Amino acid sequence: MNVPLNEVLGLSVILFGIGMFGFLARRNLILMLISIEVMLNAVNLSLAAFSWHLDDPRGQVMALFVIAVAASEVAIGLGLVIALNRNKPGAAVEDLKGLRW
Amino acid sequence: MAEVSFYYMALASVVSAVLAVTRPNPVHCMLWVLSLFLHVAGIFLLLGAEFLAAVQVIVYAGAILIFYLFVVMLIDLPDEETDARLGRHWPLAAIAGLSFAVLGALAWLGPLDAFADALPAAAESALTDSPGEGAVARIGRALFGPFALPFEIASLVLLAAIVGAVVLARKRTSQP
Repeated sequence: MNVPLNEVLGLSVILFGIGMFGFLARRNLILMLISIEVMLNAVNLSLAAFSWHLDDPRGQVMALFVIAVAASEVAIGLGLVIALNRNKPGAAVEDLKGLRW
Repeated sequence: MAEVSFYYMALASVVSAVLAVTRPNPVHCMLWVLSLFLHVAGIFLLLGAEFLAAVQVIVYAGAILIFYLFVVMLIDLPDEETDARLGRHWPLAAIAGLSFAVLGALAWLGPLDAFADALPAAAESALTDSPGEGAVARIGRALFGPFALPFEIASLVLLAAIVGAVVLARKRTSQP
């Protein structure tokens, strides 16, 4: 089982770029949140790769913390989507201009 | 064998991620993200992170994705399939995403090899494991040893998220 570190890091970077494109380009709040999940997964991948490469469990512990923070972020983000949905149906980001001057 | 399965899972996760951020139907997006999570869990297994793979499947694919699916089906998204699903500024977003491809090329073509070779020497002194322990036991020792305080703070973060989600999504019955 010899997966080179470089290739896992390259995959992680590609996934992060895809997630960033999705976050910046999509118009739907829920799909923007899903793109954040893609980015967090890419970061977890690089943490696990470093943990494996360095033979140190601390990388995996940090990935576990990232997963915990991702779970709370999803709960708050989707709670906000539901609260916004009460004012205006749908989840388009263009509708959120109440704070624009 | 491990090489072949790594390349399969890397390719499948990249394809799943691309489809997940570009499909018009939100439910299809969720299913492609599920495929991405499962393939990333497979890569975790190849990297010797069995516990992380199990948590990935249980928490990400099990809990978080079901939460997303609940919300997608709870709220009405009528114009998602007919309207433009990407904003007008999407070429800028594509440039921002593709700028990471340069970093990926650096990792792939090898200018960072010296960096990767330098890493083990720096970490040799940080190893604290006792021999004969499995990976899960080492994670448990790290989690309840040096990481005990962050572990407790993570539970506080989760508690705050639970309370916050209830407060945000609750219907306000009595307006002042």
